[in-house]
Amino acid sequence: MSDIKIAPDDIKPDMTIDCKGLSCPMPLLKTKKAIQKLQPGQILEVLGTDPGSRNDIPGWCERAGHEYLGEKQDQGFIRFYVKKGQ
Amino acid sequence: MSALKRTYENLCTKHWSPMLGGILLAFLVVLLEAWYRPWGIVGGLRNWADWLFYHLGLYDEPPTFHPIFSSTSSILDIGLIWGAFISAALGREFGIRVPPKIEFIKAVVAGILMGIGASLAMGCNVGGFYMAVNNLAANGFIMLIGLIFGVILAIKYLYWELEHFPSSGGFEISFQKINPFLGVIALIGLLVATKAYFGSDLDRGEILGGCLILAAGIGYVMHRSRFCMVNALREPFMTGDAEMGKALTVSLILSAVGIAILKYNGIRPESAYVTPTFIQGALIGGFIFGFGMTVAGGCGSGSLWRVAEGQIKLVIVAIVFALTNSLIRHFFAEHEVIENGYLGKAIFMPEYLGYAGTILLIALVVLVWYIVIDWNEDSNKLVLEM
Repeated sequence: MSDIKIAPDDIKPDMTIDCKGLSCPMPLLKTKKAIQKLQPGQILEVLGTDPGSRNDIPGWCERAGHEYLGEKQDQGFIRFYVKKGQ
Repeated sequence: MSALKRTYENLCTKHWSPMLGGILLAFLVVLLEAWYRPWGIVGGLRNWADWLFYHLGLYDEPPTFHPIFSSTSSILDIGLIWGAFISAALGREFGIRVPPKIEFIKAVVAGILMGIGASLAMGCNVGGFYMAVNNLAANGFIMLIGLIFGVILAIKYLYWELEHFPSSGGFEISFQKINPFLGVIALIGLLVATKAYFGSDLDRGEILGGCLILAAGIGYVMHRSRFCMVNALREPFMTGDAEMGKALTVSLILSAVGIAILKYNGIRPESAYVTPTFIQGALIGGFIFGFGMTVAGGCGSGSLWRVAEGQIKLVIVAIVFALTNSLIRHFFAEHEVIENGYLGKAIFMPEYLGYAGTILLIALVVLVWYIVIDWNEDSNKLVLEM
């Protein structure tokens, strides 16, 4: 049973992708594609509405060697933050 | 007070692990089959579409069973959506999620393919694969083979789509504040409806009531653990993740042992869910269904619990899936496609292997499957490059 990780307040993303309204597996696929364009250490912000992303994104980060920084609740969507690994 | 709050969080807001979901799902489908019948999805959807087409004048005969008063298939789907809605609402996860435009087109195409696939395999991934395997029918594993190839093709399509049609602009209409309130109302409604069935004068009132509440349990468990057979079959090829796949293998063998006991002891007919689709119906149907469900982002059961969560794309998938399946099965009935054996033979594995041999075979298949996806989790050998 997973706990939700809340992102720190002072995150400045280098890129933002819009996955609002999309359902599994599209948010994760778009995240996977977007992170290819970033340099290690840069931060990707994913805007989403699918509760499944709460499992998918952290799980994938761990597997793919990226750092999952957490999420922030916004008006009607969630912001997820991923720091690209080496 | 904190113990109460913690318990609520554990039961109603945190996501359960896929493994817990898989084990509870196995428990519930064995209970349901002991109660009255095997679990199914597409039969209920088709029943609703049959009813609609009859009232539109397209079909001459009404469906044999009424969606509310006599069809257990229909009640199973209503129960699943109901239970999943309770889970979504209590967990503050219900909201109307409107996807970008391209997802609407994908939903229609995927729904049509799922309708065709589930006609050929005489069941979606639930009746044609999961419940077929654990009812010891040979067509179950054949559909699995078809599903895997359909999933692989669909992943390639999704990669291609991402390159050529990047989409954005979806949104959610959120009901977070009133969500728990809706959940409690739905829970009370479920209990009242179940009691009404048990106390009714209907021919099979008690049977329907049991089906409703057990299916609601299935819906609750699936939503809380986000148990998804598309995810289980897709992830080894997309990200290498094997968590859901492992949960599915455990769920399969547990439910197979339970249902084998029911059939061995004559509690359910051995022929239950053994459909004449071995080999061609299950294989081709599985392939088409596998492609469709991956583009849809939800299989038979996964689409329904996502409907309950407010995902508009899956609402469209479910509707188109139901309508297509009804039309094709109507066509099959008129031309006696199933009766003539065009889809294949019905093979109940214990007739050839005995009960013990069949359980060993299923155990062996899921064990090999488990080992392969576990190995792939480290090696990523099966993952398709983007």
